[in-house]
Amino acid sequence: MLRALEGIRVVDFSWVRAGPWATRWLGALGAEIIKIEWPENERGRSGNRTTPQDAEENLNTSGNFNDTNPNKRSLSLNVRTPKGMEIIKRLISMSDIVLENFSARVLQRWGLGYEEQCKLKPDIIYVSMSGYGHTGRNLGYTTFGPVAQAVSGLTYLSGLPDQPPAGWGWSYMDDTGGIYGAMCALTGLYYRNTTGRGLHIDQSQMITGITLNGPAILDFTVNGRSPRRAGYPPGNRAHWPGTPLVNNYRGPTVAPHNAYRTHPGGYNDWCVIVCNSDAEWQRLVQVMGEPAWATSPETGFEALTGRLRHQEALDEGIEAWTMTMNKYALAEKCQAAGVPAMPVQSAEDRVEYDPQLRHRQMYQEVEHPALGLRRMQNAPFKLSATPAVNRRPSPLIGQHTRDIVEGLLGFSHEELVAGYADGTFWPVSRERYPYMEEMLK
Amino acid sequence: MTDAQTPAGPLTGLRVLELTDEKGQFCGKLLGDLGADVIKIEPPGGEITRTVGPFFNDVPHPDRSLSFWHYNTSKRGITLNLETADGRQLFRRLASPADVILETFRPGYLSGLGLGYEDLSASNPGLVMCSLTPFGQSGPWRDYATTDLLHMAAGGQMASCGYDASDVPDAPPIAPGGGNAWHMGCNYAYVGIMAALVYRTVTGHGQYLDTAIHDACALTTEAAIPTYIYRGEGVIRQTGRHHAAEPTPPAQFRSKDGKYVLALVAGRLTPRYVKDLAELLDSYGMAGDLKDPKYQDPEVVEANADYIINDLVANFIASLPQEEAYHAAQSRGFTWGAVYTSEELLQDGHLQDRAFWKEVEHPELGRSFVYPGEPAIYNGSPWRIAGRAPLVGEHNRDIFCGELGLSPQDLVVLAEQRVI
Repeated sequence: MLRALEGIRVVDFSWVRAGPWATRWLGALGAEIIKIEWPENERGRSGNRTTPQDAEENLNTSGNFNDTNPNKRSLSLNVRTPKGMEIIKRLISMSDIVLENFSARVLQRWGLGYEEQCKLKPDIIYVSMSGYGHTGRNLGYTTFGPVAQAVSGLTYLSGLPDQPPAGWGWSYMDDTGGIYGAMCALTGLYYRNTTGRGLHIDQSQMITGITLNGPAILDFTVNGRSPRRAGYPPGNRAHWPGTPLVNNYRGPTVAPHNAYRTHPGGYNDWCVIVCNSDAEWQRLVQVMGEPAWATSPETGFEALTGRLRHQEALDEGIEAWTMTMNKYALAEKCQAAGVPAMPVQSAEDRVEYDPQLRHRQMYQEVEHPALGLRRMQNAPFKLSATPAVNRRPSPLIGQHTRDIVEGLLGFSHEELVAGYADGTFWPVSRERYPYMEEMLK
Repeated sequence: MTDAQTPAGPLTGLRVLELTDEKGQFCGKLLGDLGADVIKIEPPGGEITRTVGPFFNDVPHPDRSLSFWHYNTSKRGITLNLETADGRQLFRRLASPADVILETFRPGYLSGLGLGYEDLSASNPGLVMCSLTPFGQSGPWRDYATTDLLHMAAGGQMASCGYDASDVPDAPPIAPGGGNAWHMGCNYAYVGIMAALVYRTVTGHGQYLDTAIHDACALTTEAAIPTYIYRGEGVIRQTGRHHAAEPTPPAQFRSKDGKYVLALVAGRLTPRYVKDLAELLDSYGMAGDLKDPKYQDPEVVEANADYIINDLVANFIASLPQEEAYHAAQSRGFTWGAVYTSEELLQDGHLQDRAFWKEVEHPELGRSFVYPGEPAIYNGSPWRIAGRAPLVGEHNRDIFCGELGLSPQDLVVLAEQRVI
């Protein structure tokens, strides 16, 4: 199978989530990803509560790590030793991309700033993914996803009026910061291939979040309208009755535009329904069986202004109907009639019951040596000539140290053994995994 | 704005034809701001996204949508009716030297007009063509209607976002605002397109991409999917912090000025953290008994976590303005954040240091406005806003006359026939 990034090698220092999510995709596209790890300060393989109940919790049994790090090889290496640093420099000299998501000054401190990297590989693409970027007065500030979301203004866009912000229930900016890391790396590669020149791309997770708030920002910089106002943010509605008529930047100001409970009333038994026009509303009225409340001239629901003004009554009426049906049946019925509606889907719903994601083969099984056969998330873009696929599961820690040190870098087996003995490839005092003993034979 | 001294962006020399509505315009902006020559092809009268508010001074007009302004920087704009023979002919002429075509029509629409990938790549084998649609080109939901809200429901965002019952009893799942379903689709579309372009720099071969917004959204809920796949567990929604299989302590606290500060303290209370926290709080005289050496015992800390978080940290933040609590904490190494809005962001010194905010000229209004800038600084080949969003048909003459050799007379005829 052809690979878009055939022959591209990435030195991957990234950890936790955002950086690894970037190199995951470069790997799926065919690049060789060399993940540099050290068990003493590892972050990403532990503590994320995704080890199966029947497995021992150790560095090789995190489900979240497995799904975040497929298509990579792992080199366990102490970069804080002269020998370790020598190996890193050799790797960089024969690689195309260096990617990391440490705090802003770490690589500088290691003597691996962009200028130093250029001495090793003049056309290197260096992608740094930090919280606030490598320049600016707050470059030392740090982020987790929810902090980047808060500071960037994303959190404030989410919630019900007159309530605290609901924010985002996960590290959206690790997912998005991560995909931006891949975007930067690919843009850099394209630039290098067309000009012969390298780049340092200084991505900031928090600032990336700001760029997702464009219309809200322009409403302030152009119209002077502050987001701190009544009826904002408007929950799942396009507008909250009785508040200034403004847009929540997700489409036209219409009603119904909300989430409704469905049968049997469980935690995720909800669907959303939107009517973008009078015609769609009329179709919904048909689907609901033309109830009196919906057609009564007194409420005036046939007109958009009436629906917007009386959203409480409108939503109550709709929910009385949605409560009678399963969310999938309801969405199907609405869609068949030309009414935009979808079920709220949990993770289980998506993995087990979503026929479209199944059709798109979004969860394909890959065998992992410690976790067994597991479904892994696939690419949302289907490239006709060079598809992105999960070719291998996430690596065990240090699983490919011998392949890389001997096979790629050309060290002798004796040198590998010596490096284990002196703590270059694994902490001397730490118990080795059986596959490491195999490596040393 | 860019000037003559600004070096060219990394995608300089790339010609992109963009035929998109709200689903794809952000991807075109990403390409354009990074230097590609993006030609936005709109139906006569303008793309539907020009009707999305808010509008400049609240006056609805196709050239005054702030949403359209933001998502269509660094593009040139032409109008073309593909449902006419002339329109199709002109489109084929534009497509034959194009590097990238990005389209968001319903599946099969362009092929039905004889303008699908097979048709266009025959004379342009290097063409990279990306269809970005709600559900992809095939499958049982292919023709389903969607909106941003519908995607956030089906994609899993809503199942993870909402409130603690103590904040809002009986709250619904919440879809965060901002049109982020479109961002998710566009970010992945960009990755796919760039991968295809990198491959083309090596082989000369183009290809077709079938990209689905639903897939992109379904991929964007972090640990929710692994939590189910590896442990069979669902997650609950919590105010301002991660979904979780079991409830976790609050993290979003009200500051003295009625704003909010996010302080992710739970789960991080190591002896070192507690010591640093005691110093931070003590510098404002609010450490309570936290400096007591007993708090260096992890068991004592665990037993008192609720007190530390809900009393000490909450009271500390409640005693300070948002801005002060945020900077005091971050400057001492705490990963805490202010829940900002655009107002605070415009004042932020760090963003000014990075020259993040860009003045973009709107010559037709005799004004310039501040726009958000780059997510990443590219040394030597910068991201930039090459110009404001095009007015309806603004570049018809440049493209149709300047490039395709039509006469101004021809343009009049085509306009009369609603071809352009």
